[in-house]
Amino acid sequence: MDEILKQQQELLGLDCSKYAVEFANQDKTDQVLNCQSTLKVLSPEDGKADIVRAAQNFCQLVAQQQRKCTDLDVNVLDSLLSSNKGFPDPDLILKFGPVDSTLGFLPWHIRLTEIISLPSHLNISYEDFFSALHHYAACEQRCGK
Amino acid sequence: MSWIKEGELTIIERFCANIIKAGPMPKHVAFIMDGNRRYAQKCHVKRQQGHSEGFDKLAQTLRWCLNLDIREVTVYAFSIENFKRSKEEVDGLMELARQKFSRLLEEQENLKKHGVCIRVLGDLPLLPLDIQELIAQAVLATRNYNKCFLNVCFAYTSRHEISNAVREMAWGVEQGLLEPSDVSESLLDKCLYTNNSPNPDLLIRTSGEVRLSDFLLWQTSHSCLVFQSVLWPEYSFWNLCEAVLRFQVNHSDLQKARDLHMKERKRQQLESDQAYVTNKLQQEGSACHGDSQRRWTLLQKCTALREERIQGFLQALENKRMDFLERLCTVSA
Repeated sequence: MDEILKQQQELLGLDCSKYAVEFANQDKTDQVLNCQSTLKVLSPEDGKADIVRAAQNFCQLVAQQQRKCTDLDVNVLDSLLSSNKGFPDPDLILKFGPVDSTLGFLPWHIRLTEIISLPSHLNISYEDFFSALHHYAACEQRCGK
Repeated sequence: MSWIKEGELTIIERFCANIIKAGPMPKHVAFIMDGNRRYAQKCHVKRQQGHSEGFDKLAQTLRWCLNLDIREVTVYAFSIENFKRSKEEVDGLMELARQKFSRLLEEQENLKKHGVCIRVLGDLPLLPLDIQELIAQAVLATRNYNKCFLNVCFAYTSRHEISNAVREMAWGVEQGLLEPSDVSESLLDKCLYTNNSPNPDLLIRTSGEVRLSDFLLWQTSHSCLVFQSVLWPEYSFWNLCEAVLRFQVNHSDLQKARDLHMKERKRQQLESDQAYVTNKLQQEGSACHGDSQRRWTLLQKCTALREERIQGFLQALENKRMDFLERLCTVSA
């Protein structure tokens, strides 16, 4: 716990005075930010193949006359996909490596996702990571308007 | 031609074009022409003028693409989300479309001479009827030209396009033209509005935004994405060259990634065919189960039958789309 606080001091460096670190839990014995993260690991078959699978399942229902083709709209198809189930659409893609492409990553879900590139995930510095988040924070989404 | 600016490259531009053309060139480029309104604000003019200059820039960019031998271009002209804008702005954009499509129809001789095929991709029934009619006329008049292709996404979002493609496949099943097991990635490709085009090699978005905004999400999965900070009405030949250079740098990695994806797709298709055949053999009775000759024959037969079904379905889909456009033309006649 002390080590984390020490690292936070070091890593935030000159900026640390700008940010008052607030702890969710005011109890002094529990000073580390209480943050529950969920990690989902995806692979290429969670992309187009997931959309195809959902399409096949829907067509199966149509063949069994449990659905009509006109029942399918954007929201219905969205609900039939499973690769990102339980998660909101990604807000940000941090792309590592020199290739300027999403390489098939969740095509359906990334319609409004900001795509920020970093050279490599190996030996990535906190400054680079922070500046990517800073770039994201500056993005202004008009959503068509 | 109002949609493609007349003119040739300057000497310096031609020199650079020749250098670039020594490397791999994209055959199909997609543009998100972003930044018209910010440009208008910057120049203290009305938004409508920003959009109008944006159109002029499109005409100029199409000329540059032809100079670089890029024969197919797809542009994001109007998103379904853009209907959320003020009535004044939407009406202004519709009026611009009306003018430009009408001009296009007046220039049919030129379109024929240059072999320009115009396609408009989107949920056309969302548009004012008179614009639908103009679009139908432009598309039908140029459908057989094949020297270069301009795809205009109008009243478009990628999610609507993908949902529409799935709905069409479901329609095929409803009509008895398809079996659910015929649904595949390659069939979905052929049901999209872009089914007559190869996937874009290069997607360029201007104005500094780094998102896809519901544009060609399926088709650009393995395209080179280039985000440039220049505002669209200020786009230059050098910006285009810069984007093409980025494409060249990425070319072999992306080709490898695409090949890998195709291999995986074929493997999946084979796997699902084998499962289909196993199922059929089990239905026939386990006596034939182990016979690999029987298996092979059945596999060939099922694949051929599936191909036949798919051809029939795609023809019916094409007819449906043509009928829709032709009916719009008879309305205005």
